Amino acid sequence: MESKRWVIWLIAVWTGVIALFLYIPIFSVITSSFGKSRYFRFPVKAWSDKWYDQTLGANLTTDLHLTSFYVAGCVALIAVVLGFFGALAFARYNWRGRQFYQRLIMLPIFFPQAVLGLALLLWFTYVGVLPSWEAAVFAHLVWIVPIVTLVISIQVYGFDAAQEEAAYDLGASRWQAFREVTLPALAPGLFSGALFAFLLSWGNFPLSTFTTGADSTVTEWLYTKMGSGYTPMIPTMGALSVFGAIVILFGGYMFLIVQRRRRLERGD
Amino acid sequence: MVDAAPILRMVSLTKQFGRLVAVNDVTLDIQEGEFFTIVGPSGSGKTTLLRMLGGLEKPTAGDIYLRDERVNQVPANRRPTCMVFQSLALFNHKTVGQNIEFSLKMRGESRRARRERGLSLMNVVQLPEDYYDKSVTKCSGGERQRVALARALASDPDILFFDEPLSAIDYRLRKLLEVELKDLHRTTGKTFVYITHSLEEAMVMSDRIGIMQEGRLIQIGSPNEIYLRPRNKFVSEFMGEVNTLAVQAGADGGIDCPAFERRFTSPARPDGFANGYLVIRPESMRFLNDPSEAENHIEGSLFNEYALGSRVQYHVSAGGSMFVVEKLREQAYRGSLNDDVLIGWDAKDSVLVTD
Repeated sequence: MESKRWVIWLIAVWTGVIALFLYIPIFSVITSSFGKSRYFRFPVKAWSDKWYDQTLGANLTTDLHLTSFYVAGCVALIAVVLGFFGALAFARYNWRGRQFYQRLIMLPIFFPQAVLGLALLLWFTYVGVLPSWEAAVFAHLVWIVPIVTLVISIQVYGFDAAQEEAAYDLGASRWQAFREVTLPALAPGLFSGALFAFLLSWGNFPLSTFTTGADSTVTEWLYTKMGSGYTPMIPTMGALSVFGAIVILFGGYMFLIVQRRRRLERGD
Repeated sequence: MVDAAPILRMVSLTKQFGRLVAVNDVTLDIQEGEFFTIVGPSGSGKTTLLRMLGGLEKPTAGDIYLRDERVNQVPANRRPTCMVFQSLALFNHKTVGQNIEFSLKMRGESRRARRERGLSLMNVVQLPEDYYDKSVTKCSGGERQRVALARALASDPDILFFDEPLSAIDYRLRKLLEVELKDLHRTTGKTFVYITHSLEEAMVMSDRIGIMQEGRLIQIGSPNEIYLRPRNKFVSEFMGEVNTLAVQAGADGGIDCPAFERRFTSPARPDGFANGYLVIRPESMRFLNDPSEAENHIEGSLFNEYALGSRVQYHVSAGGSMFVVEKLREQAYRGSLNDDVLIGWDAKDSVLVTD
């Protein structure tokens, strides 16, 4: 009994320390966005919301976020479609050359992204595509589609293919079987694939920096500003991202709860 | 019973995967309302045969007729048949009700009609009504079986196919479900085609049984016929523990057993029988006090005994091989291990089979 309490205590301390290490940096960024100082300080001595006034008031902020959002949104959408079919080829069907395909698709993940970005820029120039946020979408896809394919493949591996056969056998057409059985069964994988794609694209710097051209994403701006002249707008933008994520997650959760309640009411 | 035209006919049905012949020249008629079971070890081609009948696999050669209509090229979703899969293949993201009503939804029936039919089917397979909105992932093994059954019955198919649905179920529940399935066959009056690797399971449920070995249907008959007159050694041994003795046709109608250098009285000989095996079931073997008590006897010693509940099984070692004797508990052998014993049988309780 004595030793058990001791172990529990140790686990609690360990967990606390890890959480502290993980969250103190994020916490310090958020507090310094509320600081008065022109410099990054922790802990904050004097508080102010002037950086929020400045950041939220600037057209730049909207432009950067819109660009990032367009890129990440397009990447998530296209990556999930490609990744879905890629995952079916990866995990669902047995075909000659599947093993080679499984290896081949991993290559872009291991290629250093900065080099990949440069290579893509050269390639875009060669085929006459001007660097822009649209070009960046393709650059991101090269790196993100393989990852999304893997994420969705995990779900596909857990799918009993006999369910599709059962659907045909019960009178479903190929399309009906897909819509009624395959798609809903794989939906959790598609959702996490989309989430991965969006987040990886949103936070990507090395590929964006080579391929967005005149357009700039939030991440690019943050990197550039940190190199060329720090402003507290940097932590402010970071903090805004965190708040945005909290609002989206909480809103999504509420939406799911409302949906479930509505479905239950309809069922009765 | 009137011998009507068969509901399902297979003519020289063959399926090849590359060089492997999974199903080899199977010809079989299945009668309307029959419970037909195909039994075979794994790899005997029984699942492939069933998948061809259900339309999930196309035959390489031969034909399938459903009520005199050739259905070789008709896909699964246009055949009036339904399959209960080995994995059950329930739709895990759907509720019990949604699973059962799937085929009705595909047909575009109204929500209310579907619900009504769904609930009545749940009643047929003895699922409580409040399971309607339960997720199938929260159901127990037996409940999942019932959902799969109800789902297959929903579209009112002419024939139900079963691909070893009970193989992953524990013994007691399996016995219960076997009986329920046979009762369901009676109440619905539908044609059931069932496959299993367990002849015991087939015996309990079937009107007729077909035994498959290496892609061929080697014997078709009622459970009694298969039990009493197995066509070859494979069939006889497939039924569980039997005593087999290698024998040759001897002069004056007897059969010679070289291993024991003895002549035994012979049961009915298959045409042109020269050499093969004499098969004696464990329950037909008796302990003898005197050789005169049976037509044939062998001397051995009692090696071990096993209580099987209502029966007791004995292993008797004789002439380098082990014989199995089974007695009702009330008729148990009173003695001890290593006793010298006499075991014997009459010709009428034995069968001659070839390889």
